[in-house]
Amino acid sequence: MLSVKGLKANVGDKEILKGLDLEIGPGEVHAIMGPNGSGKSTFAHVLSGREGYEVTEGSVIFEGRDLLELEPEERAHLGLFLAFQYPVELPGVNNTYFLKAALNSIRKSRGETELDAISFLRLMKEKLKVLHLDDSLLKRPVNFGFSGGEKKRNEIFQMALLEPKLAILDETDSGLDIDALRIVADGVNALRSPERSMIVVTHYQRLLDYIQPDYVHVLARGRIIRSGGKDLALELEKRGYGWITGEEEAA
Amino acid sequence: MSGGEFDRWLGPRSEDGLAGLDWLETKRAAARSQVRDQGIPTTKQEAWRYTSVKRLMEQGFVPADEPITALEPEDIEEVLIPGVVSHRVVLVNGRFLPGLSELGELPPGVRIGGLQQILKSDPDALRDRVNGVAGDDQSLFAALNTAGMDDGLVILLDRGAVLTQPVELIHLSVGMDEPRVAQPRHIVSLDDGAQATLIERYLSLGESLYCTNSVMEISVGRDGVLKHQRIQDESPYAFHITGLYLSLGQGSRYAGVNVGLGGAWARTDCRVRFAGEHAECDLQGLYLAGDRQLLDYHLDVDHRLPQCTSRENFKGILYGKGRAVFDGRVYVAKDAQKTDAAMSNRNLLLSDGAEVDTKPQLEINADDVKCSHGTTVGQLEPEMLFYLRSRGINAPLARRMLCLGFAGEILDVLEPEPLRERVADQVGQRLEQAPLA
Repeated sequence: MLSVKGLKANVGDKEILKGLDLEIGPGEVHAIMGPNGSGKSTFAHVLSGREGYEVTEGSVIFEGRDLLELEPEERAHLGLFLAFQYPVELPGVNNTYFLKAALNSIRKSRGETELDAISFLRLMKEKLKVLHLDDSLLKRPVNFGFSGGEKKRNEIFQMALLEPKLAILDETDSGLDIDALRIVADGVNALRSPERSMIVVTHYQRLLDYIQPDYVHVLARGRIIRSGGKDLALELEKRGYGWITGEEEAA
Repeated sequence: MSGGEFDRWLGPRSEDGLAGLDWLETKRAAARSQVRDQGIPTTKQEAWRYTSVKRLMEQGFVPADEPITALEPEDIEEVLIPGVVSHRVVLVNGRFLPGLSELGELPPGVRIGGLQQILKSDPDALRDRVNGVAGDDQSLFAALNTAGMDDGLVILLDRGAVLTQPVELIHLSVGMDEPRVAQPRHIVSLDDGAQATLIERYLSLGESLYCTNSVMEISVGRDGVLKHQRIQDESPYAFHITGLYLSLGQGSRYAGVNVGLGGAWARTDCRVRFAGEHAECDLQGLYLAGDRQLLDYHLDVDHRLPQCTSRENFKGILYGKGRAVFDGRVYVAKDAQKTDAAMSNRNLLLSDGAEVDTKPQLEINADDVKCSHGTTVGQLEPEMLFYLRSRGINAPLARRMLCLGFAGEILDVLEPEPLRERVADQVGQRLEQAPLA
């Protein structure tokens, strides 16, 4: 489904990713862990097509397509979804209108008919139920004035609605207390399926108590330096990153 | 050069429907000499610093004195908004057309009609009202309007009269072989306690070249309430000049929304005077300007009396080589204690070639007041665009959504809902056609 080979990327003059390799199959959940500045978020952003990153080497093939050649919206059309670490506030843009525009853009790109207002509302209700969310966020402008937890829930709701093939969760746990974290993690778990793969980017093992990965990778200095099962995360929690990166990490 | 260069706007005319009223003739004669005595506005004058009248002068407009009689109700069907139920007044090239208007039933104490029509039945009805708010000492375009007026909308509400349906003025312009200028004078007068809503729409039939130089005098009596929504959505070749003069009585409330979308060259001067304490004036505005468009707004809010409130909130979206000017002045006199005034002008520039000159000014001479002003000129946030695009929304639609979000604060004030939807659609359409660089 996703094949990353020898990926190198710069931010400005600085090389952040220094030859990253990763293979992800359908339905797999991969956690990418690593100390601050290791390139975790850069990797997530490069996959989603954000500006400001220059890929200098390597390839990313997603569903048989060269992902790096595509515009951000085309990546979304193919089934890629990034849950933002810091969801962006869009004052004046109604959340329901936004969700409908997004879903219909994706449907249109696949040659499917666009949903009318009534079918869309029906679908939204259904998804809210699956995630045990209420509809209070839908009437407000996108993320505008949302609490940290509301923003993350809104991300997961978008994911439920857009039904991506590959979801990248970028530090979804950051800024969440334990209750909010549980709600978000429950949402993510409800969306796990044999067709949907996920990349869970996180600094802490905590999130992985709730979202159990099939694989754990440790990213340091722009490369994956170790891969393993979910036990690896537990070991990292116990021993810190210094154990494998060979550096002392400030707590 | 003198203002006399604009003499052509005043005639000769083939007919004058307002001839024979001595009081009016006196005002017109005085205005004619003011036109002659004034110079052409130049960019050396503060009020015209960013706006040249050269393009306006080059057109050689002559009076729109040919009555347009060929229009049938079917011809204006598409400009009507289904769901807007109103007392409808249609002016074509500045002239009231009863055949296209639909005043419906008016409650007691309410008179609505054309300026000529009202004066024919009651020659003295407007003796004190023409120039009653605008004053006799006028700047060039107001004086041209006074000298050249021949029709317009008149709304007169007696004490305590309440209109539940809005009055809708549809001002249509049709291009003629020779470019024409129409100079309607609108009089809106609400006596004490009267309440009304006015929707003013300036539209063109076809892509016509013409000029409208209108003056609207509004007086709201003690505790009166006027809601005023003004939509200018004219042809890309239209020239549009508006003088909006407001006199607000004690405890009265005026809520105005000014939306400017069309026209090649449009100038709006809005002057607010409080005639009593505890009056409230709310001025909201939205303007969109693209290639070959200049939209120029001047607000002059004069707090001479204590305890009055004013809000000035204008937002602009500029694209292509579009230009806009916002010149807002709030003056607070020494004795105008407890004045509450807030002025804001925010602009979104979608291209490098677009330009806005914004100049909010606050002049405060009293010490116990609450006043603020602010202005911003910015671009769409790349972060916001990326967020939308990452959800599958293509870049042009993402831009449009963000612009509509920016404009939403003003659009949401419009009512009834079908009017808001129509204007939002028009804003969306213009943004869709907007070049991205």
